Amino acid sequence: MLWVTTTFIIEVGVAVRLDVLPRVTCPNHPDAILVEDYRAGDMICPECGLVVGDRVIDVGSEWRTFSNDKATKDPSRVGDSQNPLLSDGDLTTMIGKGTGAASFDEFGNSKYQNRRTMSSSDRAMMNAFKEITTMADRINLPRNIVDRTNNLFKQVYEQKSLKGRANDAIASACLYIACRQEGVPRTFKEICAVSRISKKEIGRCFKLILKALETSVDLITTGDFMSRFCSNLGLPKQVQMAATHIARKAVELDLVPGRSPISVAAAAIYMASQASAEKRTQKEIGDIAGVADVTIRQSYRLIYPRAPDLFPADFKFDTPVDKLPQL
Amino acid sequence: MDQNNSLPPYAQGLASPQGAMTPGIPIFSPMMPYGTGLTPQPVQSTSSLSILEEQQRQQQQQQQQQQQQQQQQQQQQAAQQSTSQQATQGTSGQTPQLFHSQTLTTAPLPGTTPLYPSPMTPMTPITPATPASESSGIVPQLQNIVSTVNLGCKLDLKTIALRARNAEYNPKRFAAVIMRIREPRTTALIFSSGKMVCTGAKSEEQSRLAARKYARVVQKLGFPAKFLDFKIQNMVGSCDVKFPIRLEGLVLTHQQFSSYEPELFPGLIYRMIKPRIVLLIFVSGKVVLTGAKVRAEIYEAFENIYPILKGFRKTT
Repeated sequence: MLWVTTTFIIEVGVAVRLDVLPRVTCPNHPDAILVEDYRAGDMICPECGLVVGDRVIDVGSEWRTFSNDKATKDPSRVGDSQNPLLSDGDLTTMIGKGTGAASFDEFGNSKYQNRRTMSSSDRAMMNAFKEITTMADRINLPRNIVDRTNNLFKQVYEQKSLKGRANDAIASACLYIACRQEGVPRTFKEICAVSRISKKEIGRCFKLILKALETSVDLITTGDFMSRFCSNLGLPKQVQMAATHIARKAVELDLVPGRSPISVAAAAIYMASQASAEKRTQKEIGDIAGVADVTIRQSYRLIYPRAPDLFPADFKFDTPVDKLPQL
Repeated sequence: MDQNNSLPPYAQGLASPQGAMTPGIPIFSPMMPYGTGLTPQPVQSTSSLSILEEQQRQQQQQQQQQQQQQQQQQQQQAAQQSTSQQATQGTSGQTPQLFHSQTLTTAPLPGTTPLYPSPMTPMTPITPATPASESSGIVPQLQNIVSTVNLGCKLDLKTIALRARNAEYNPKRFAAVIMRIREPRTTALIFSSGKMVCTGAKSEEQSRLAARKYARVVQKLGFPAKFLDFKIQNMVGSCDVKFPIRLEGLVLTHQQFSSYEPELFPGLIYRMIKPRIVLLIFVSGKVVLTGAKVRAEIYEAFENIYPILKGFRKTT
């Protein structure tokens, strides 16, 4: 007789509410945060040294796995850390592919087909989170922006006021808002470049979300984009600082009323780069900033007359101010 | 403020029926407080508005009284003794076609009870106007009126398109006949259900006249067209405050009403709540007002926004 063993890997997710767990505290210092000593499984009060918890269960990971490990088998038996905060109560069971011979029935199909629909109510939300992560990855956004975007999306999704709109459009708009809220705004065109949604639709969803969540965002300024545009163009720090100064002075002196800050920034970069050794054409700057080169030309014409006042005092001119190109 | 007797000297010359024809007339026309036979209007809360705005509104009301034609009901005029100085929304909806800029009827209408009451008529107390808050003296000009009317019968768009002049009909693109007339210069969308949308007129009367012309065209083509439920759906006005505006400052202080995204649109979109009007405010000082159902809403909205804009005037 042959005993055939088959292994199914079954993942069970359990949502745990952290705030109602019984919390151990030192009897003398109820406010002190206990320090964990993992070797003995103790929890020690830092104020008086009393060992409060004894032999508590270690909730850290069971195995340390490294990315360069060739082992295809992940020995961890608890799986990925789910995201109960966002995925709204993750009590699901998923059945993985069988590995042994008895996991297949007579036709070669696997018994226990497919992982059952997991959390169908939040399938759309999980999809959106995946999309957000993909978009953010394309422009190398840090994790905090992605987290903020996820939170915004969850709030909008739960509110249901924008239910008819495409989830991707809402996700793109949330990404835009998150970048703005973190103080590192991305232009609509930059978000457009990593999303399949048109700028018009992202703009519409943006306004709708601000209204639905009753928040507002700060106005964009020219300085927010300088470091990104200049490094994409390969301009040295001196030129970047000069361009920042030029743009700021131009706005202060109100030389460019009604012009979008992106256009003013692009024109300032053009002026600074043309005055330095690292010259860039309007077309190149237009490509990076997402503005048309005629727009740069228009804004440049407005700031050109006051060019000597706009440069910082300590700027080293490769091309003197009077030799700057006049368009 | 003098309640009953002599008008302030600067307004003596204005105490006449034709003193106020357009809302832009110099504001100090205290004939208004004397209750020139105003119809009791549906009360709107005017406590937040300045007296001069009230006076302006009353000027408009007076305009209506003077220009009323016989179709105005006698009962309403009989009840005009009360000197309530409330908003005009009620009557202005009835007589949109009376805002002629040219014709002035100065004679008192037959059947009206005396418009200029004795000093005995009770007056509602008016909050004294702060002398600094002048009304702007700028009148928004109407640029576009959109109105709808029901012709009351089903129409065959193909025959209309074939037989009428200046009509285009492309059912694959849009399910209505687009007809244009030259005087007043307007465009109409005529649907097969018999409903019609008329756009492009510059005044309420012109819009009604144009809609009637279109209805007559349809009638001449053989359909039993009527003219039911003419209603003005939207009015657009524009004006210039003549000074540049700091939009960044405005969006900071009026965050819950304003939306300013230079990447999306160069103007600031201000959604006023009290008359529900959307204003597009530009750096140059030009202002576009839209979303009004009656002319008075546009004027009121502009009078509301003007002091705010003055506060954000660019100093350089």
